[in-house]
Amino acid sequence: WSSVIQCKAAVAWEPNKPLVIEEIEVAPPQADEVRIKIVATAVCHTDLYHLFEGMPKDGFPAVLGHEAAGIVESVGPEVTEFQPGDKVIPLFLAQCKECRFCKSPKTNQIRQGAMVGKESRFTCKGKKVLQFAGTSTFSEYIVIHQIAVAKIDPAAPLDKVCLIGCGICTGYGAAVNTAKVEPGSTCAVFGLGAVGLAAVMGCKAAGAKRIIAVDLNPDKAEKAKVLGATDFVNPKDHNKPIHEVLAGMTNGGVDYSVECVGNVEVMRSALESCLPAWGVSVIVGWTEMFDIKIRPPHLISGRTWKGSMFGGFKGKDGVSEMVKAYLDKKLQLEEFITHNMTLDQINDAIELMKQGKWYHILVLFINQWVHFK
Amino acid sequence: MATAGKVIKCKAAIAWEPNKPLVIEEVEVDPPQEKEVRIKVVASGLCQSDLYFLLKDMNKHLFPLILGHEAAGIVESVGKEVTEFQPGDKVIPLFISQCRECRFCKNPKTNLCEKGSVGEHDNIANSRITCKGKKVRQFMGTSTFSEYTVVNQIAVAKIDPAAPLEKVCLIGCGISTGFGAAVNVAKVEPGSTCAVFGLGAIGLAAVMGCKAAGAKRIIAVDINPDKAEKAKVLGATDFVNSKDHDKPISQVLTEMTTGGVDYSLECVGNVEVMRSALECCAPGWGVSVIVGYTNLHDITARPIQLMTGRTWKGTLFGGFKGKDGVPKMVKNYLDKKVKLDEFITHNMALDQVNDAIELLKQGKCIRTVLSVSPQ
Repeated sequence: WSSVIQCKAAVAWEPNKPLVIEEIEVAPPQADEVRIKIVATAVCHTDLYHLFEGMPKDGFPAVLGHEAAGIVESVGPEVTEFQPGDKVIPLFLAQCKECRFCKSPKTNQIRQGAMVGKESRFTCKGKKVLQFAGTSTFSEYIVIHQIAVAKIDPAAPLDKVCLIGCGICTGYGAAVNTAKVEPGSTCAVFGLGAVGLAAVMGCKAAGAKRIIAVDLNPDKAEKAKVLGATDFVNPKDHNKPIHEVLAGMTNGGVDYSVECVGNVEVMRSALESCLPAWGVSVIVGWTEMFDIKIRPPHLISGRTWKGSMFGGFKGKDGVSEMVKAYLDKKLQLEEFITHNMTLDQINDAIELMKQGKWYHILVLFINQWVHFK
Repeated sequence: MATAGKVIKCKAAIAWEPNKPLVIEEVEVDPPQEKEVRIKVVASGLCQSDLYFLLKDMNKHLFPLILGHEAAGIVESVGKEVTEFQPGDKVIPLFISQCRECRFCKNPKTNLCEKGSVGEHDNIANSRITCKGKKVRQFMGTSTFSEYTVVNQIAVAKIDPAAPLEKVCLIGCGISTGFGAAVNVAKVEPGSTCAVFGLGAIGLAAVMGCKAAGAKRIIAVDINPDKAEKAKVLGATDFVNSKDHDKPISQVLTEMTTGGVDYSLECVGNVEVMRSALECCAPGWGVSVIVGYTNLHDITARPIQLMTGRTWKGTLFGGFKGKDGVPKMVKNYLDKKVKLDEFITHNMALDQVNDAIELLKQGKCIRTVLSVSPQ
């Protein structure tokens, strides 16, 4: 029978403070749960959002992290889908396959309450520690409900495919599944972090003829072009609003735009950059702090405003597809990885991301050291 | 006709200034130039969009103008190079043209037309109507509060000669706008649940469209309980008065439908209602369509509403391409698949246009059809 595991984790005790490497206790998996040894995880903007922007009062202490890959260590009673040794990716957006959302091809959402209310399996210094996004992957071990775990090809290199747990699917899927970019079309991607670059990659995979990458940082242009961007525009280089610049470049506006920043002003610009008659704008970047705004005639003339989480991929199905696409060389991941560090260096990783100088994807190797009670 | 090639002197209701009653004046209507058609307007409806520009938007630079964009008439004469129409044809003018040549006309995704979309073919320099020596703007390119009007042939739809003009005039805007919003733009699916906010002519037409598309449940929402009955005649299964509830309307509807409606249509033109209409949609697949018009304020929403899977759209003229869609809707009426009579609550003469405006402002009518010229 599984016992409690004592292991290392990066704990966020308070908002807006560095994470602290602590020893935590990870309970054994209960019915329908799986305990996973995390092999590699990356830092995503949404982790930082919780720590520095959203900062919900009841959101701490927590273990952050939601983009990872690992190996099943043990399973709870009634788990038949997984066994120890399986390579897996945890899902912040579960797929139960039973609710009306899972049964609809139109969405990757899941019924409310599927993940909420589950008790944390982490304690530290006698206190319960929240499992952020249900995944909490800045920990050597996690316990998670089996509906939130995707089994992946055993040939997959975990230190690369961990990115499929969030950023890559989120951006790529926004273009392919949500915007449904068509061959020969013109696209604009706002924000060239990992999600934006993945969106560029998705637009290219979907056959876009022209992909305009937009960012305030000219250093981002090169990688965007490696991944398929045909143009780069820096709004700071122009006196006109960005939507006017893009409309001027594209005979009235782009067919598809994707917002990968999480800023409501950029979301507005992204919509306004679309062609009135049929333009589709997809919001991918995350914020819960402000409203989006637009004048009604922008929609009345024919534009569509959408958004997506996890690129519209159903968790279990989509993740295993995307891992296979990588193994079949239809998807690039290496280009996104700019740094490799260990869990102990997580605060350095966070600093790098905050400075925005890099491509926002860093892979952390979790220390193999483990201690059983 | 005897008037062909000559200037016609006739009656029109002129808006000289914003926010003032219209004035019945004598106007001069030039003969149609190349590719133009001169139409005797037989019947015209009055639409909230006419009032919007007169009473809300009030852009001084647009005046003087002749309102009216929802009408039916008979071709009086045609200009050079017009082969599609001849005198005597029954027609409906289009405030969105369909040239069939531009990239928009060639694309099934849109009903816009690059050659003459709303606001472009009402350039005053091109006006064919003068009054007291001044050119008067042909607002929306149609100007149907005039016994005669001149329109480019790309903005005219030929209709079945059997069509009664005093009914099918409504297909020129309100009916097509609402019906099409449901059928073409929201793309309501059979068995679905819909909510329609605002039960003026557009909203009632949207209810009719939801029903035609096979919706199982159509929740009609209005703050005036008198609107319930007609909504039910046209297919609404439920009526909700927002004022009867303390909770926000989006919450009321979400609770009535275990999570939200599949499709919502905003037919009021109010940004708060547009927000509520979005919020009452189900996450995952809900689609909200803005049909009512305003450009005075922003719509606002929390990004998560879209990120959890709702789609926000809008439409002009219900997504119908004018020349293709209007004759089909007329045929639908003649085949009794679309109702029009239920929408006509008042009949008046052009002279009474200001009374018609008052009725609409007070919400005391659905549609008033103005008899503009005898047939």
